[in-house]
Amino acid sequence: MPKVTFIEHNGKEHVVEAQVGKSIMQTALDHKVPGILGDCGGECSCGTCHCYVVDPQWQRKLPPIGENEEVMLEGTLHTEANSRLGCQLKVTPEFDGLVLRLPHSQVL
Amino acid sequence: MNASANTLSWDPYRTDLAQDPYPTYRRLREEAPLYYNEEHDFYALTRYADVEHGLRDKENMSSHYGDILEFIKARSRMPDAVFIHQDPPVHSAYRSLMQRIITPKRMLGIEQEIRKLCARSLDPLVGKDYFDMIGNLGAEVPMRAISMLLGIPEQDQVAIRESVDARIRTEAGKPIDIEHNQKLQAEALSGFDEYISWREKNPSDDMMTELLNAEFKDPGGNMRKLTRDEIVAIVNVVAGAGNETTNRLIGWMGKTLAEHPDQRRQIVENPGLIPQAIEELLRFEPPGPFMARYVMNDIEYYGRKIPKGSALLLMVACANRDDRRFVNGDSFDINREQRPHMTFGNGIHVCIGAPLARLEGRVVMEEVLKRFPEWEVDYDNAVLSSTSTVRGWDSLPVWVGAKPKNARAPAPKPAAEPAPAAAAGPVELEGTWNVVVKGPTGPQPAVLTLQKNGGGYSGEQTGMGSTSPIADFKRDGNQISWINHTTKPMKLKVEFKGEISGNVISGKAKAGFMGSYPFTATKA
Repeated sequence: MPKVTFIEHNGKEHVVEAQVGKSIMQTALDHKVPGILGDCGGECSCGTCHCYVVDPQWQRKLPPIGENEEVMLEGTLHTEANSRLGCQLKVTPEFDGLVLRLPHSQVL
Repeated sequence: MNASANTLSWDPYRTDLAQDPYPTYRRLREEAPLYYNEEHDFYALTRYADVEHGLRDKENMSSHYGDILEFIKARSRMPDAVFIHQDPPVHSAYRSLMQRIITPKRMLGIEQEIRKLCARSLDPLVGKDYFDMIGNLGAEVPMRAISMLLGIPEQDQVAIRESVDARIRTEAGKPIDIEHNQKLQAEALSGFDEYISWREKNPSDDMMTELLNAEFKDPGGNMRKLTRDEIVAIVNVVAGAGNETTNRLIGWMGKTLAEHPDQRRQIVENPGLIPQAIEELLRFEPPGPFMARYVMNDIEYYGRKIPKGSALLLMVACANRDDRRFVNGDSFDINREQRPHMTFGNGIHVCIGAPLARLEGRVVMEEVLKRFPEWEVDYDNAVLSSTSTVRGWDSLPVWVGAKPKNARAPAPKPAAEPAPAAAAGPVELEGTWNVVVKGPTGPQPAVLTLQKNGGGYSGEQTGMGSTSPIADFKRDGNQISWINHTTKPMKLKVEFKGEISGNVISGKAKAGFMGSYPFTATKA
């Protein structure tokens, strides 16, 4: 299984085994990673699974940002050029080694 | 139903369970993860994993008849733009438009204004030893905040209300001219339209302006702007949803923190705990305890069939305390391991205003604790109400600090006074009536004042912080009817029709296109 690393805002790292086919958001919830809420359950409707892709190379490797994700990200808090919504990233075997940083909060 | 004392029986209408439904919820989770209520013919899911699954299940769960048990039983339909009552693709068309407009960024952008609203409500209470968490705070801040977000700043609210009120006022005192009256009604009805037109000419950076300008792909696939009717419907949904629930959240804050003084002290000493305290509060006492769905196909849970066409309650308030998800789910613990709850729902209909509710909760808690680090609830004068949509306090008076010895309520509420015995004859209509409309987002209190005027009655009605004259008051035997044009949170013509019995009028209040709701009016 591909290993994905989540880094909380306080620096705490969570290296988790991601199940292929699940979203990054669901992966974080399944492993109780604090800092991802996923209120809408993966419908790209709440912006509470926001994360930052640490490595620019990974930004290029990941599937591109879709129309719905782009609209949601426009209204999401504290976005940067490397922002993604975890629910829109479906894990593939190629995700092994992906590192994601989490914002200080999804809601404030 | 032959329910023995030990039979597990629950429905959202049982007032005896409203005060503390949680022991029953625990039994439901353990004994009836899928519960069926024969009397009211509905199913209910009670465990966290099942409620979550149900909320996300687009294949089998429909919002076509709304998300309220009674609406589903009645197969009620709403206009397309009332998107919480729709399924994809109609829901998706409006929801994605609204997601561009009600963004977390926009909501968080009014934090300073919300802080000012809190100060406005709370500062006059400093130095007092008794106040009402609902009347003095919960009923004020969320209503003003949502008006602000919608783009009805207070000075404009007043200006617009005055332009309409002025026309009505010039007619007061004259005999009722039915034709003219009807014209006035039509004008008041179109008042909202008028406001939208005004906003069109005076664009701002608010939601209303965006609703006017936004282009969206409608359910038919055409790019277009919203119609006036659609804007009115959407504004109604947003204002309705943003008001009552957050008001209830503030009440639960007052009650829950008072009952956990040790944790309250911890928060006062470290306000950084407030965001997680709000999440715990939302989990512990959800203002909207249930979400209902219409079941589209035969489905099965725990080996039992839920037939197509059933009404299914997804019991969020019960699921949020599931020990399978939260350690000691029935205990309030702001320091617990943080995991998401379902108070805002889940799936495509998840609350679009959650960031605003969280923001208001956080700012209100900060501003309350800054001024009042300790309080005790006056339960003798507190009023809890519970419906199939909302559970919370209509009134939650508190003593600042500790309950005084020999305490008596310094400010009894008019609603709490015993109603005069009316058996001795027909009750005098002239005077004050306490009106409660059981609306889609919970009970809406109002006060109706009637005066004799020629052969009939005139008067005014106050609710949601605004007062407006009533029109067309009629009595025919036991039948009573009148019309109230509300101005807050929006302009709406509400037609009351009921029957008087003793000192109570009960019947239906028809609120424009929003539908009819039961009401009672009790002589004060």
